[in-house]
Amino acid sequence: MIDEISLVKELQNVQTKQKAFRVLISEYKERLYWHIRKIVISHDDADDVLQNTFIKVFRGIDRFKHDSKLYSWMYRIATNESITFINKRARERNIDISEIKQELVTNLPSDAWFSGNDIQIILQEAVARLPNKQQLVFNMKYFDHLKYQEISEILGTSVGGLKASYFQAVKKIENYIKTKHN
Amino acid sequence: MKETSKHIKDWKLADNIKTGFTIPENYFTDIEDDFSSKLIEDKLPKHNGFQITKAYFENVENNIIEKTIHKKGKLINFKTRKIKLISVAASIALLLFFGSNFIYNTNTELSSEEIISWLDMNVNSFSNDDIPITLTELNFNDTNPYDIINSEVILESLLNSNDEDFIVENIETY
Repeated sequence: MIDEISLVKELQNVQTKQKAFRVLISEYKERLYWHIRKIVISHDDADDVLQNTFIKVFRGIDRFKHDSKLYSWMYRIATNESITFINKRARERNIDISEIKQELVTNLPSDAWFSGNDIQIILQEAVARLPNKQQLVFNMKYFDHLKYQEISEILGTSVGGLKASYFQAVKKIENYIKTKHN
Repeated sequence: MKETSKHIKDWKLADNIKTGFTIPENYFTDIEDDFSSKLIEDKLPKHNGFQITKAYFENVENNIIEKTIHKKGKLINFKTRKIKLISVAASIALLLFFGSNFIYNTNTELSSEEIISWLDMNVNSFSNDDIPITLTELNFNDTNPYDIINSEVILESLLNSNDEDFIVENIETY
């Protein structure tokens, strides 16, 4: 594990910025990619958003003041970039965000970069039907195994609020799966 | 029921006093939801089924680095861009100056062909994109083109000079 404070110092120094940036990408690319992928669903879109996220990190690192942890800050950028991407897609198509999310999941069975079985598709459908906040909390807690405190730092929501959101999300997912099975 | 609650309250209090341990706020109310969530989670698939190529993470690193280097390169060219911008701005100012004279002064002996040929001969070349870019960057509401270059002598010197520093220095004084 790299020392976050010294990495940020190197990133904020013109002489060492490029080298440190490579270390940063290497350390966080996978975690951020999977976080983004679960929001935007398609690999190509996740690739675009991941690259934009790192470019924004590169441009904004000089303004990073350690108000939060580096990874929380990057997760926040990745989350915003992903949501902005989905919103833009919806605007371009002149359809609702929930519709575009449903559409993305409907395309999953024909996606070359998806190998899930029926129950995994149903799970993705259920997740896509959740409101944005519940969807994020569920993905971060269930798939990324983040702690509530970490999610709280990223989303700026209280731990209590997150627990309630997660519980609501899980109940809705269970109900959706039950309905699909019956 | 009342007695049970009281008992729990007393027990908690007693435990606190004895051990010094504390618990997060709402812990006992949240724990039921946490337990229910865990039971549901156990029935859900552990993997989401998304895949990527093996080489993806190696390639994406290089792609991102390449993009940041590209952006840096653009920053180095700022001075060149500024010079280009000034030459385009000067051209537009001249175009407006001669254009207005051509339209409003019927005694002028300059034809449009002559103006175009003069611009071709005297002004640095610029691409088709430069004019819209410059027009976007210039605020014509705040800027009178005659204020940018208001001396014929300076104007002539600027256009004849190949010294970029001289151009920048003189333009900035106006």
